[in-house]
Amino acid sequence: MTPQARAHEEQAIEMANYPESIPTPTALTRRRFLAAGAVVGFGGFLAACSTSGSGATTAPSAAASAAPSGAPASAGASPSGKVAWANWTYYMDTDEEAKTFPTLDEFTKLHGITVEYSEVVDDNNSFFGQIRPALEANQPTGWDIVTLTDWMAQRLIRLGWTEELDLANMPDFTANLKDEYKGLAWDPDMKHHAPWQSGMTGLGYDVDVTGDLTSLDTLFTADPRWTGKVDYLSEMRDAVGLTMLKLGLDPEKPTTADNDAAIAEIQKAVDAGIVRDFKGNAYAEDLKSGDATLSMAWSGDMVQALVDKPSLRFTIADQGGMLWTDNSMIPKGASNKAGAELLLDYYYIPDVAALVTAYVNYLTPVKGVDAKLLEMDPEIAKNPLIFPPPDVVARLHVFGPLTEADEAYFNETFAKVTGVG
Amino acid sequence: MGGWLKRHRWVVPYALLAPGVLWLVLFYVYPGIQMFISSFWSGTLETGFTFSLSNWTNYPEALSASSEQFVRSILYAGAATILTFLIAYPLAYTIAFKGGRYKALLLFLVVAPFFTSFLLRTISWKILLADSGILLAPLKAIGILPPEFRLLAEPIAVVSGITYNFLPFMTLPIYVSLEKIDHRLVEAAKDLYAGPWRPGGAIAGIVLGGVLGGVLGYIFEYPVPIWAGVWGIAGGLIGWLFISESFTRITFPLSLPGVFAGSLLTFIPAMGDYVNAEFLGNPSTRMIGNVIQNKFLVQNDYPEASALSFILMAGIIVFVAIYARALGTEALTTGRG
Repeated sequence: MTPQARAHEEQAIEMANYPESIPTPTALTRRRFLAAGAVVGFGGFLAACSTSGSGATTAPSAAASAAPSGAPASAGASPSGKVAWANWTYYMDTDEEAKTFPTLDEFTKLHGITVEYSEVVDDNNSFFGQIRPALEANQPTGWDIVTLTDWMAQRLIRLGWTEELDLANMPDFTANLKDEYKGLAWDPDMKHHAPWQSGMTGLGYDVDVTGDLTSLDTLFTADPRWTGKVDYLSEMRDAVGLTMLKLGLDPEKPTTADNDAAIAEIQKAVDAGIVRDFKGNAYAEDLKSGDATLSMAWSGDMVQALVDKPSLRFTIADQGGMLWTDNSMIPKGASNKAGAELLLDYYYIPDVAALVTAYVNYLTPVKGVDAKLLEMDPEIAKNPLIFPPPDVVARLHVFGPLTEADEAYFNETFAKVTGVG
Repeated sequence: MGGWLKRHRWVVPYALLAPGVLWLVLFYVYPGIQMFISSFWSGTLETGFTFSLSNWTNYPEALSASSEQFVRSILYAGAATILTFLIAYPLAYTIAFKGGRYKALLLFLVVAPFFTSFLLRTISWKILLADSGILLAPLKAIGILPPEFRLLAEPIAVVSGITYNFLPFMTLPIYVSLEKIDHRLVEAAKDLYAGPWRPGGAIAGIVLGGVLGGVLGYIFEYPVPIWAGVWGIAGGLIGWLFISESFTRITFPLSLPGVFAGSLLTFIPAMGDYVNAEFLGNPSTRMIGNVIQNKFLVQNDYPEASALSFILMAGIIVFVAIYARALGTEALTTGRG
């Protein structure tokens, strides 16, 4: 559409900063996105509850698209065709009016590769259930990229169900991945996964009611300011992880004994009537309505909640907080591995990653995004929930790997304490 | 063509049944069999599941682990059914007998909430009942209620939510059966000196109201004597003022088919409901539906989740059978209760 469309990579990336070609996300966009997100969230919740297969079961059709004729391919042997990507909803910069994904369109223009981007992951386990039969039978899953949370990524890699990344094809990834994401026990050389976005789990509270809080102990201590008005997260790794930190245990190396101690601690708080309920994203509504004055909270939700209710605070307590990451992987048998690598690498170009961050407001694993955002949207660049200061990052912990038997045990005991087991 | 049909008359009923049967086979029988098979599985999502009849132990294990939620589901669904009946009957009665030209409008209003999704209706209750929401804030401000009083995250919120969500399922069948009643029967009864039923109505009201109030108080974890007392007095007053002999002898018996259908339409889905307990409850108000949901989607324990689903189905069938026997299947078809 613009003359730049024919340009080479560098020029095209510069273009990403022109407001007229790619709208810069604004606070308004974000708010609308969240409002829509709430509705879709419920829809997703419903979909998750129904046993019927959703669109997620339909693998993208191969015949859907060929490369657009106008787009120049840069070199003869370069990847082409299409890349099918399974990701979570509202996890990609979106042009609300045109219902398109600008950075993906830009990628197609640059490389002549069509991306079949599908927001089909709404639960790690149920998505795993969908791709497991194919992977088990050594069949292609129909996806070239799947984006799943740490523990599920660990599982896929452990089972040998991911393709090894050819890092020679991924110069931006190699150069721009933040150091704290490197050297994980389950993929020490970054050969199987590329982090997509991260979030923190910490304390959310209404400072007008509770005053400033800095300790996880508050979640477990009766106090007229919050007894009966404390929400815990219904996500096992977050609730149990924070409790382990409170107890001085290490959630990076969780043992069943640690789990039992944490569960007992949670049970005490439930029995004492401190805990109101275990919630998914709904804790944010409780904080806003005042039904909860203190809660375990996710940074991604709180970015918006803080705007809606200025007396709310999000903090990573002295004992620490949890960090989770959704990671992109290439599942075994992917039909366009080279194209997938190119796409994953593309999102490690800071200009591109900045556009995604400005829209989704999660923590980015890409170096240099904060500098780019300082020019584009300083408000986001200065938001400590999106770019936490180093001392906060140092207090974050990733819930460690669990064997399958341990995971079942952790889930079962947690289900009991939440009243469903 | 016509000739062929005439010679093969037997085809017609089967052809008419075909869409329904096909539908049920595809979406009920087939998944049902699937689920039955998976209830005899062992294994995990990661390693895959294997079928073996020796895994029947899934059933007792699932039942013993969640007997608490099972009992609670029966209590909550039962309480909600009774409450919907108490609200729906006078409502349906008024529409059927006093609605006049507003009947259609009133019926529309009963169904109107159904134009919004079940989930949104439930979540709107969270807004109404919030600790400092429009209902509780004024009462707390003038000191009728203590500041820490709450309705949400309590049993009463869950039961009220179910009651509200299933109200039309109770109202419409009762309305239909009341609407059919021949008014001349009531007039004839009055001609035969069927007047107000006091003091019989008052005594029956006190007893019924007292028992009901006590049971509800117990389920809601509120002081039972107070609830029994208040409900008893209310029941007595209603019995004294409103219950006539023509009602107990003519109208109510003739409306029993509607009551029967309505209570089944309420109780059965309420037993399996988990949305109300999820949004309006707390960890100690979870119902069996929540357990099944968690086992299916969080723990990936498909075998036990399937076993629980089957136990739930079997439990409901047994319950309905007993209920039908008690009320008499005659009442279902003929209205002669």
